[in-house]
Amino acid sequence: MSKSLLIISRQAPWSGPGAREALDIALAGGAFDLPIGMLFLDDGVFQLSKAQQPGALQQKDLGANLQALPMFGVERLYASQRSLAERGLSDAELNLAVERLDDSALTTLLDHYDQVITL
Amino acid sequence: MSTLNVAGREIALDKDGYLIDLQDWSRPVAEALAAAEALQLSDEHWEVLELLRAFYAEFQLSPANRPLIKYAALKLGTDKGNSLHLNRLFKGTPAKLAAKLAGLPKPTNCL
Amino acid sequence: MATLHMLSHSPFADSRLASCLRLLGAADAILLSGDAVYALQPGTANLQALQLMPASVALYALDEDLTARGMQAPERAQVVDYPGFVELCTRYAKVNSWL
Repeated sequence: MSKSLLIISRQAPWSGPGAREALDIALAGGAFDLPIGMLFLDDGVFQLSKAQQPGALQQKDLGANLQALPMFGVERLYASQRSLAERGLSDAELNLAVERLDDSALTTLLDHYDQVITL
Repeated sequence: MSTLNVAGREIALDKDGYLIDLQDWSRPVAEALAAAEALQLSDEHWEVLELLRAFYAEFQLSPANRPLIKYAALKLGTDKGNSLHLNRLFKGTPAKLAAKLAGLPKPTNCL
Repeated sequence: MATLHMLSHSPFADSRLASCLRLLGAADAILLSGDAVYALQPGTANLQALQLMPASVALYALDEDLTARGMQAPERAQVVDYPGFVELCTRYAKVNSWL
């Protein structure tokens, strides 16, 4: 039985390589059929904003790439309720179906996984 | 880096034989890329190449084998979305070879 | 499945420590290294937040990072050297590095 991994992605999409690196770990792990979950926390929830137009920065479309997570077998997607609320993001503005979790549910979530990495 | 001559046009390829400029892709280019791999494209091949182009249009990345199979099963049904069928069509490395022929970048998440 | 949370960024510059404190389990621990040891600066909200953690949560700080910054650990924190750091990593079920 493979060890489960929770990837906590907490960097804004266009500020540096953090968001891309977290996604690459998820896609690579998913391609190898590892049990992977992904949690969007802090500024990481900005990755989920539907209105992004990465072409303006000549970057790869992270939002489109995130849609591929379920295809790569990464179906457990979570976001911090608090991080979304603090940043004024409602469900209607999100590009991905994520489960919103409050702080105590996040503590339980972390506990479930064998490994956790925060980027 | 090398080039592929298609109907008098030089098409730039990277060191692994993938298109440098994805805009260069056309059906004749796909046929020439296939010929370079000693492959004759059938309707079943084209179906997968079109599927890959749809995958890329949707997700902006090339799938590894597992997501390719999953996507194929979703769009074409499980009689085609399985590793046996895809391996048979693309010499055992469907994600890499089909991405090449479909004019997609080399998949990064597949070893 | 207790977790050792490793922090190495200044808590005055970003929200890693704040977020970590919110996700902390009762049997988890925090290890401060690098600029994260500034969280122990006396008279600050960060130190206060650490002091408010339940006693079941262990708090560690890396000796040489404290010394280099001219800081002293309060009673709440246990000072560890590098061998101690390695030992901690093996003691907890998992290590969460806040990169």
